[in-house]
Amino acid sequence: MTGVQQAPTDRVIQHWYRDHVSCLQSTLASLLIREGEDPLGALGLSWEFRHLPGDVRPEEFYWPCARDGDLVGSLLPYHRAGSVWRTAPDTDPLVALETALAGNRLPIVAVDNYHLPFRPAYQDVHSAHLIIVYGIDRVAGEVLVSDAMPPAYHGPLAIADLLRSWTSVNPREQEAFFSGVHIDGRWLDVTLGTPFPPLTPARLGEAMAANLARFDSDGPDRAGLRGLAEFGTELVAAARNGDRATVEEAYPFGWGMQAQAALHGELLRDRGVQWRNPVLAEAGRRVEQVAHAWTPVRVCAAYGRADPRAWAGDLAHRTARLRRAHEEALAAIEQAMATLNDGSGEIG
Amino acid sequence: MVNHVSPAPRATAVRDDHGSRFHLVDLDLHRDNVGVTSSSATGYGAFNVWGNSLPAEELPSGRAIQVEDVPFTFPATGGGRPDNVRCAGQHITVEPGQYDWLYLLTAAERRVEDEIAFHYADGAVDFEPLRVSDFWAAPAVFGETSAFTTLTMHYPYHVQANVSAMVWCQRVPLVRGAALAAMRLPRNPAVHIFAATFVLRKGHHR
Repeated sequence: MTGVQQAPTDRVIQHWYRDHVSCLQSTLASLLIREGEDPLGALGLSWEFRHLPGDVRPEEFYWPCARDGDLVGSLLPYHRAGSVWRTAPDTDPLVALETALAGNRLPIVAVDNYHLPFRPAYQDVHSAHLIIVYGIDRVAGEVLVSDAMPPAYHGPLAIADLLRSWTSVNPREQEAFFSGVHIDGRWLDVTLGTPFPPLTPARLGEAMAANLARFDSDGPDRAGLRGLAEFGTELVAAARNGDRATVEEAYPFGWGMQAQAALHGELLRDRGVQWRNPVLAEAGRRVEQVAHAWTPVRVCAAYGRADPRAWAGDLAHRTARLRRAHEEALAAIEQAMATLNDGSGEIG
Repeated sequence: MVNHVSPAPRATAVRDDHGSRFHLVDLDLHRDNVGVTSSSATGYGAFNVWGNSLPAEELPSGRAIQVEDVPFTFPATGGGRPDNVRCAGQHITVEPGQYDWLYLLTAAERRVEDEIAFHYADGAVDFEPLRVSDFWAAPAVFGETSAFTTLTMHYPYHVQANVSAMVWCQRVPLVRGAALAAMRLPRNPAVHIFAATFVLRKGHHR
């Protein structure tokens, strides 16, 4: 293909950002907005704990998939959404993106920030990241890209820069937590399955019940409250044994868990206010406290990678508080679910 | 997206003596982290796990300031020496008094909710909530006042435009009507404190 290839409606991609989210949620949010959907209502509907030992990758967009290989389907389990990781061909990799755009699909492209002039890490540190490519102009030698993460950018990027970034080996950086895994020309082919059903109190209640069931699950995966306890025990044991790699992993792994808890909490609080349901709003705030309890777990792990044994006590304290925060939030959700049973969501 | 950079800090210089309503806590013995760097030496920065730091050129250094009508002493910054307390369970004795509020100039590496332990002269101990928003281009999710919103962020090897660093003015309540003797900070390396001032209960003086 030659010339300009751009999805027909995309002059500008709308950004959406929260300080807890990563490029995974922010890129998906832009795709949801493009389809007329509420990103908070979609990204905040599911809440779970899942840790897949041996699966964690040092990437900002890592997520422990319940559906193997289906990142978006795992993140949005209550929607008909799904995704496939694809790898661009070595010869003329832009063809893959042009084909997606021609089909009115916005590709989410894995990149190494080191090669992107609009990222703070440019020519500084290697780190894996996601951006949206929404236009390709081979004549001008540019693609159009969107990145909602601060400092936030949308506009042209030289094709040469994109290709360097997209095919980077993303070498391991001692000071970076998202380096060491090849980018390899990966891009995420997303199907959202919109329009979504409206988020009524009944639908939210169903999702909350399903979330609770997953937290109570006694299945084979390291999931739910039992999985959370196992994760904490393993992390503390790793620190006591001087296992730097396992301790370090908690930082990238925790980002996804933290972001999802923050969004679920915000959604419950937001709908609690909208539906004049204080019990729901308070449950949301409890879930937000879970997100905030992730902060010291992640930060202690990040510092702890240099001297794990010195941080074992703090990690024990912090993972215990994280478990308690989950228990309080789940109890609050149970109370809130009872208030949603009449369908209106309103109280009094 | 976040877009709330203000060119002028909301903190102002202290112009007069506030008498005995305030107790400015001397944190100098406890400062253990370099959170502020000059643009010529950003490599000293260690505010977060990435080595980011706040720009000295946009912050006061070693002088009295006032935020929310509360006086603080902002530490000397930019020389590569520790300028803030990274919370690690420090026990800090305070001038005895009945206080209503602890005001802090503080920032966190991502949102934090934790507790400060207040130790009273009669042996009582209360845990009170400490809530601090993210310092990295973030909104005040806990309703803090922005003491400083910078235009740039320091990275280990460069100065980044259009990414703000935030210093929040947050307060912590002291609900017990008793003389305070000391406080213990949480063991939470995500929280950094640049300055601290106690506000005396009405009708009480030092």
